[in-house]
Amino acid sequence: MPSVLFDAKDVTKIEPITTSCGMVFAGLMADFRVLVRRSRKRSQTYKLTYGENQPISQLVKETAQVVQEYTQSGGVRPFGVSVLAAGYDEEGPHLYQIDPSGVYIAWKATAIGKGDQNAKSDLERRATAGISFDDMTLDDAIHHALQTLRTGMEGEMTKTNIQVGVVDGTTKAFRILSEEEVQDFLEEAR
Amino acid sequence: AAAKLSPCRRRRNLRASPDHPYRSVAPGPRADCAAFGSSQAFTMDSTIGMRGDGFVLLAADANAGRSILIYKQDLDKILPISENQIMATVGPQADCSVFGEYIQKNMRLYELENQINLSTFGAANFIRGELAKALRRGPYQVNLLLGGAAKDEEASLFWMDYLGTLQKVNYGAHGYASNFVLSLLDAHWEKGLTEEQAIEVLRKCIKELETRFMIALPKWSVKVVDSEGVRVIDFN
Repeated sequence: MPSVLFDAKDVTKIEPITTSCGMVFAGLMADFRVLVRRSRKRSQTYKLTYGENQPISQLVKETAQVVQEYTQSGGVRPFGVSVLAAGYDEEGPHLYQIDPSGVYIAWKATAIGKGDQNAKSDLERRATAGISFDDMTLDDAIHHALQTLRTGMEGEMTKTNIQVGVVDGTTKAFRILSEEEVQDFLEEAR
Repeated sequence: AAAKLSPCRRRRNLRASPDHPYRSVAPGPRADCAAFGSSQAFTMDSTIGMRGDGFVLLAADANAGRSILIYKQDLDKILPISENQIMATVGPQADCSVFGEYIQKNMRLYELENQINLSTFGAANFIRGELAKALRRGPYQVNLLLGGAAKDEEASLFWMDYLGTLQKVNYGAHGYASNFVLSLLDAHWEKGLTEEQAIEVLRKCIKELETRFMIALPKWSVKVVDSEGVRVIDFN
């Protein structure tokens, strides 16, 4: 938080896009809002046309297309955000990263933002140490994520200054964990 | 928007409105509809469909004609719109072929863009949406049955009409045949029909039409779609 005067109640970095997909960003919050709005609208248009939820792979592709157009059009500047999109579709869970260039990459585990290099090395170390990101449980995944997040964080990690969003395999729904749930995970991680 | 291809049909069949030199209006009902007092063009073709155990059977008559004339008796009115979905159309041949091909090409575009096929439910909603959008612009006079049995999905049959009605059904029919055949399907269809049983039910329906329907429909094209693809049944 930039200052002690900051009112942190309504700050949210993770945004649900559809019932089974959510996005988080690193970079300019205002640019992220534009992408969130476009993705939400596009996925609802898809739902109107086909009666079904848009698969996250298609949503990410189309959002990335929007980002790319801003790198090749006159009078606009590229989006100043990197986006991580998580979702569940017919083929299972997916995690995608969208870069300001319009490139989208599918990941098993990744990090973006300040300290992303350290965080990614941390995740790679866990992977080479034998932890399989392909078939871990949701609880384990949250543990690993919080531990990796802590390595890059200045100051203490509390339930109010982090947010955790998950896509559950059983419900296939995207949700942001409540502060109580985050607190439980933080205590377990200690 | 999902449908990227736009047909040129609108330019073709709009006429100038009577009080304005260049603004156009959608065509009014045709002479044959006006006679019936409806906005639907009645043609003499028919289609019958039913859902079975892991497959959908669609049958459409093979006559192509207008008024008292038959042009040909081997017209295939059942279009494959993807590897595991078929669509049988009823209506004026022009609308059926324009709309049918429009749907076919858009389904193919989806496949190419997304490396995955649409589910039958998704295809049904897309097709219905196109019919509904065109209704107030210049309707496609197409009534259709959509049958699909994609992988990992139950075999499903959808009944659609030119107004944009959409309903998932176990069996259905379009055209004059529906007046004769729906009661038979009601009596003889049951859940989990095998292909042989479905063809038997179809034979009963066609025999009924031969006995009671004024227009002779000697040849039918019959197709079955299941998770392995589309098969033509040698019926005649």
